[in-house]
Amino acid sequence: MSMSDDLFEFLHSEVINYSIQRNEIKKKESKDDDLSNIEFIGFSTGFKVIERLTKEMPRFKDELDTMKFICTDFWSAIYKKQIDNLRTNHQGVYVLQDNAFRFLIKISNGKQYLEYAPRYVAFTCGVIRGGLANLGINCLVTAEVQNMPSCKFHIQVQRM
Amino acid sequence: MRSSVSYILSSTTTEPNMSHPDYEQLAHDHAALLVLVRQIGSQLKNKMFNKFYDRISRLNSVNITDSVGQVRNIYIRYVKEHPVENNLWGDFQTHRRLLGLVTFGKYDSQQELNDICRVHEQLKVKYITTLFDSRCILFGPSSDSPTEETTSSDATSSISSSTDAHSIKTTEKDLEKKELYFEENDKEVFTTPSNFKTRALFYSETDPCADLEAHLTDFLNSLFWVLESKRLERSREKLERVSLLLAPFEKKDFVGLDMESRNNKRRCTGRSTKHLGDLCLQAGLITEALTHYHNAAETLKSVNDWLWLGAAYEGLCTATALVLYPNIYRNAPLHRNSSLQEGSPKRSNSITTPILDIVKKEVPNTLPPEEISKKYREAIVHYSKYQNAGIIETEACFKAARISVEQNHPLQAASFLQNVVFINLTLSEQERIQRFETLSDLYMQIGFMRKASFCQRLAATRYVSAQNPTPNWSQCYNLMLQSFRGHKISLDPTEMMSTNVQVGWSTLQIQLLQEIVVAAKRMGHSALATRHMTFLLQTMWPYLSINDQKEFAIQLQSLSAQCEGSPVSLVLDNGTVIPPANLTNIPICAGFNLRNLQPHLRPRKIQVLKQDSGPFLFTPINFGSLERKSAKVQSKMDFFWIENDLCEVTLKLVNPLPFELKVSNMRLLTSGVVFESIPETVVLPSDTPTLVTLNGSPKESGELEVLGYSTHTLGVKSNCRLRYMKGFLPQYTIEVIPTLPTVEVKTSLPESATFSTFQNFENVVTSASLSLYNGESTQCVITIANTSQVPVEMLEVSIQSVLEPSLQDQIFKWSNDDLQKQLPLLPGNSASLTINLYSAANFLASGFNGPELSSGVFGSSHASSIMSASAGPSSLPSRLNSPVHSTMGNSFHGRRNDLNSSFRSSNSGQSSMTTTGCRSPGALTLPQHVASAVVDAQLQLRFSGGSGFQAGYCRSCSIFITLEMIPSMQVTNWDVLPAETYSQFYLVLDVANLTSQEMEVYYTPSKHMLIEGHESCRVPVPVDRCPLSKLTKFYMEQKSGLDDRLDLDKICSEHIANLVDLSWHLMSTDTRGKASLKGITLTPNMLDIVRMSPIQWEVLINDGLIKPQEEVNCVVGECLEIKVGVSNCFEKPLRQLTLSVQFYQDYQNGMQNYQLETRLAFTGTTKIILPPLEPQDKAKHACNVVFFNSGHYKMDIQCSAPECLASTPSVNTTGHIWRFLPAIEVNVN
Amino acid sequence: MAVCAAIVGKDNSPKYFACTNPDEELNFQYKVLSSLDVVEEKLNAANKGSDMRELYLGILYSLETHKIYGYVTNTKIKFIIVAESTNTALRDNEIRSMFRKLHSLRA
Repeated sequence: MSMSDDLFEFLHSEVINYSIQRNEIKKKESKDDDLSNIEFIGFSTGFKVIERLTKEMPRFKDELDTMKFICTDFWSAIYKKQIDNLRTNHQGVYVLQDNAFRFLIKISNGKQYLEYAPRYVAFTCGVIRGGLANLGINCLVTAEVQNMPSCKFHIQVQRM
Repeated sequence: MRSSVSYILSSTTTEPNMSHPDYEQLAHDHAALLVLVRQIGSQLKNKMFNKFYDRISRLNSVNITDSVGQVRNIYIRYVKEHPVENNLWGDFQTHRRLLGLVTFGKYDSQQELNDICRVHEQLKVKYITTLFDSRCILFGPSSDSPTEETTSSDATSSISSSTDAHSIKTTEKDLEKKELYFEENDKEVFTTPSNFKTRALFYSETDPCADLEAHLTDFLNSLFWVLESKRLERSREKLERVSLLLAPFEKKDFVGLDMESRNNKRRCTGRSTKHLGDLCLQAGLITEALTHYHNAAETLKSVNDWLWLGAAYEGLCTATALVLYPNIYRNAPLHRNSSLQEGSPKRSNSITTPILDIVKKEVPNTLPPEEISKKYREAIVHYSKYQNAGIIETEACFKAARISVEQNHPLQAASFLQNVVFINLTLSEQERIQRFETLSDLYMQIGFMRKASFCQRLAATRYVSAQNPTPNWSQCYNLMLQSFRGHKISLDPTEMMSTNVQVGWSTLQIQLLQEIVVAAKRMGHSALATRHMTFLLQTMWPYLSINDQKEFAIQLQSLSAQCEGSPVSLVLDNGTVIPPANLTNIPICAGFNLRNLQPHLRPRKIQVLKQDSGPFLFTPINFGSLERKSAKVQSKMDFFWIENDLCEVTLKLVNPLPFELKVSNMRLLTSGVVFESIPETVVLPSDTPTLVTLNGSPKESGELEVLGYSTHTLGVKSNCRLRYMKGFLPQYTIEVIPTLPTVEVKTSLPESATFSTFQNFENVVTSASLSLYNGESTQCVITIANTSQVPVEMLEVSIQSVLEPSLQDQIFKWSNDDLQKQLPLLPGNSASLTINLYSAANFLASGFNGPELSSGVFGSSHASSIMSASAGPSSLPSRLNSPVHSTMGNSFHGRRNDLNSSFRSSNSGQSSMTTTGCRSPGALTLPQHVASAVVDAQLQLRFSGGSGFQAGYCRSCSIFITLEMIPSMQVTNWDVLPAETYSQFYLVLDVANLTSQEMEVYYTPSKHMLIEGHESCRVPVPVDRCPLSKLTKFYMEQKSGLDDRLDLDKICSEHIANLVDLSWHLMSTDTRGKASLKGITLTPNMLDIVRMSPIQWEVLINDGLIKPQEEVNCVVGECLEIKVGVSNCFEKPLRQLTLSVQFYQDYQNGMQNYQLETRLAFTGTTKIILPPLEPQDKAKHACNVVFFNSGHYKMDIQCSAPECLASTPSVNTTGHIWRFLPAIEVNVN
Repeated sequence: MAVCAAIVGKDNSPKYFACTNPDEELNFQYKVLSSLDVVEEKLNAANKGSDMRELYLGILYSLETHKIYGYVTNTKIKFIIVAESTNTALRDNEIRSMFRKLHSLRA
């Protein structure tokens, strides 16, 4: 891995730490981490990065075509690997599964840190949402981690 | 699409080219019979004509059974205009021939009828080459019964002579019958001139013309049969022998050509076949038409006859379209030459064909749908090779585009439309305009709003271009307005402003708006010009350069000089509504605040549920805490306005323009209760925030919503609603409570110079200040005038200060009853209230310790010094057990310069006075730190009346009173002495005159004394002793000595204060005042003198009754018999009294010698315990004494009770001792 | 050489506009604005499944004096270039590469 990739990972984890800390200062009563900030950072990142990543791409045929791009080129560009599995119900729900998600792979595999997993997928949810939004697909993105470092991203397209 | 060999095949000579394009043409019109409908003469109203036109236009297809029994579906197209030149192209495309003529005319006289007939005939002559038949519909005078007349002959009958005309003949027979009928009935007979050879239909104006359609069908039938005969004629021609058909401009080209050449023969054949196709199409034989077109195309292609090949292709396309899309509607048959203002154009002029029974697949030679546009394209390319066919090409483009629209291929349609502009035609301005309008219309249909608007704008500019001989600004304006849509300009400024994202192209929008302003101005509609300029400034403000802002503002000013802008919708003649445009940016509003009323005008709840913690009322509004949090309530004010009161809103305005801006007629916009806003005019300097206050008064109670404000600036009236302005709540809501009276308050005293020391003076309306010597009183008259229209029904007065209430009540006194008697106070009336002011002070130097005075009333620095001065006497209780003997100490010995310290050390200063009534100048020292004090107080008036009173509200205002209390007289020292009579005692006072004037002090009703300024003087005041009746309680239940002692002290103190009446009179200013001894403190020894003793003494020496102050003289060795009688004057029995008699010598230096065993001797006991004394009982004791030495002796007779007289055991072990005072002096010689 | 270039946002609002002759700007704005209709229609057609997957849309309009070309990114940012009709040296490929450059500069 190159230096810049390492930097990206470090920056990512620092962004999370910073956000979490700031939230703790702000209000202590809420038990769950407030990840909306991180999600939004991801959203803007995704929104911007998609512009560049699709520069050389032909126009997407349809939604599925777009999703395939997210799974392959997009994912490779950010996470240095492709999505391992893409499933869809053809009605606007897509499930992207990454069996070795980059931000989880450095964390112990056991159940011990499972509760911290949401922190490390929030940014990516935002990135996906932002990227798709800029491509004209409005959606909800949620993540599900059952066994680290595997992660499933659920994309639910909002149809007008 | 254009052919690269454009024009090469056509000459540039001035051949008659078809110069009148028909942009409205549809492909389907190829199949229609063309009928001209005209109005003749001016009698017939346009409206009526149009009604009839619309009516007959509905008859756009008829089914006619042909000679072989087949039903033909024939289309008819009606036009109002048909340039005769277009007829020339009838060989090229037969649908361009005018086949029928229908005229409408109205007459009232024979002359008019003749004229109509003449014009009709002229028209027939004009189109003679193509016309098959005509009808003239005539409306006679309305009084006539409906009649009809026909002439049996028709000018065109010669043409139709060859038709098999049994149908016509039958109708003619019918008509003849009617003619007879007409002649019988009509009184006044109008007849058509003899040269009028047209079939005419006569109606009266009011006739419903029920049979019009039937007659027209006849007419159309006749057209068909003529056409059909022509078609048959053509079809029977031998193809080899046909003559060459020519387009008008071709005639010259073929002059001298060998028509017998194979090529030209084929050319003739091809063209003829194509022509036959046209006729078949018109005659309703689509299948045949397709075959002919197909064949013609083959033939023409082989001889490179491009123009006619194009026509053949077009024929194929139209025939196919007829098969595939029989129901294409004639879209937008806008009568372009009539103005747009004729109400909404009828868009439903459709070709409602009965369902064709042709199954599409079965028709041979039809093109597949996608081929239509391709073939059209080819046709257009071929046409484009001929400059003279420009109009044919243009029309083909439009027709093709319409089919593409039907096929839902916008891009295809767009490309056909785009081609139109390339065609170089010499057109009149009017035709150019029509071209753009048609383009725009079609672009609109394919959803190309921007392009449509672009074309509309071009059309608009053509209307007023320099080339246009008849500029029409109104049309220009209308088109400009229509083009708004494609430029994303909404007519409603609020809509424009509400979309946060800028979607339109501001540069173009600004340009367009500027143009429309000019158009409106030139059109002569100044109101519109002003409106659009306002709109431009309002909506485009952020995109305008500073210079443009200024420029447009100035322009607006000059436009509005002609017609002022006002915030109402403008309605155009065509029904378009131009919503109001309000300038909210000029001036910019940076702040909008509703103001609470002035504190003294604010409404207060009369009844406050919670007890107020302080003396100052706060607005008693309580919102629920939940409500307060919700966003909606934010706009609700937490204070009230009052009906009929002047209420204020402050605005912060900024003038963004680089010049001074005058804004007049600024008012508040409200809803809810009626609100009368007072117009305001301000002049705003450039770019400087200015605060402006808008006033108004609600005329009802209830909820008032403040929505914004109105302005009048740059000649434009605007309603600036907060709802549409950024950074404001949509509205503010405030509760208006019912009307309350207002009062004006005046006092008889001069106003205070300042009154800043008091915390809460916000609702102070006036002030009063005065100075009083302590003890002096005066009156202040307060006049309360009702300045409102509402009676004052409630008026409450209260005084507020930081004084202790009892002291406050002493200083300020008034009669509430007097005040209440003056109510209700009617509008315009006044009430007066007299306040008695008394400068209440403590006149006792040592007594300056009252708890009521220690609370810092005197806000000045003097207070502290006074307070410190009072520290000494407050320690009095600790000296309760001081030796009894000291009270008889040497006179004056304890006098000190520092009064305070003397008090602190002992009480000797007070008890040292033995002489009475003697002035001792210089001996008495004046208190040094006594200075005037200032009392600040607010007299609060709470008043209400009218409906506000019913609603439980009042107002509150205050008068600020500053009272300076100047020291006058002071008692610096006091003591008590027994008086000559047992029932009295002397109160000895050191009275100091603290003023600089001479003062007369009255201390008894008859006695007075003059004291120089800053001098003091000692006066004895005889006072009745405090009677036992006042003290009963202490002898009843002696529970605790100390507290009771203080109570006792207090009772006695009050007793003295009540009895002693000191008054003073300043000689030079004739000021009078009273001094009170309230709060005088007494030592225990004094108390014994002050109060009546329960024990009454009777002392006899040598059987002589001894009076107080009396001296006894005897000689050494003489035996004095002392008899002491003690009687109980109390209501209770006294027990365990011990009576003792003692002698002592007073050395007058504080020493008293009781060791007198060597100097005297007693016989009998000197100390006995008396039996219990019932009330009124008397006990006696006797003893004798002999003095051995001469000298002064004093006899001390005392009676002691171990438990303070009460039978119950006392906590106080010292008991109580009564003495016979003063001690009897015995001089032994 | 192109005489005018424009970048138009997702919502069809102008983001950038430049032309060689500033006096002509207004005219060009009209041209570019009305060409957006074609851009939208082409995108519409592309969405309906026609196999037009290139970002370069080709010529949008051919006017008497100018030719207007369009390019739409995947994120619906539109690039418009106007070239003079007389400039026959400009081939489709060159226009395409101009758009590519524009896109690279922006993304």
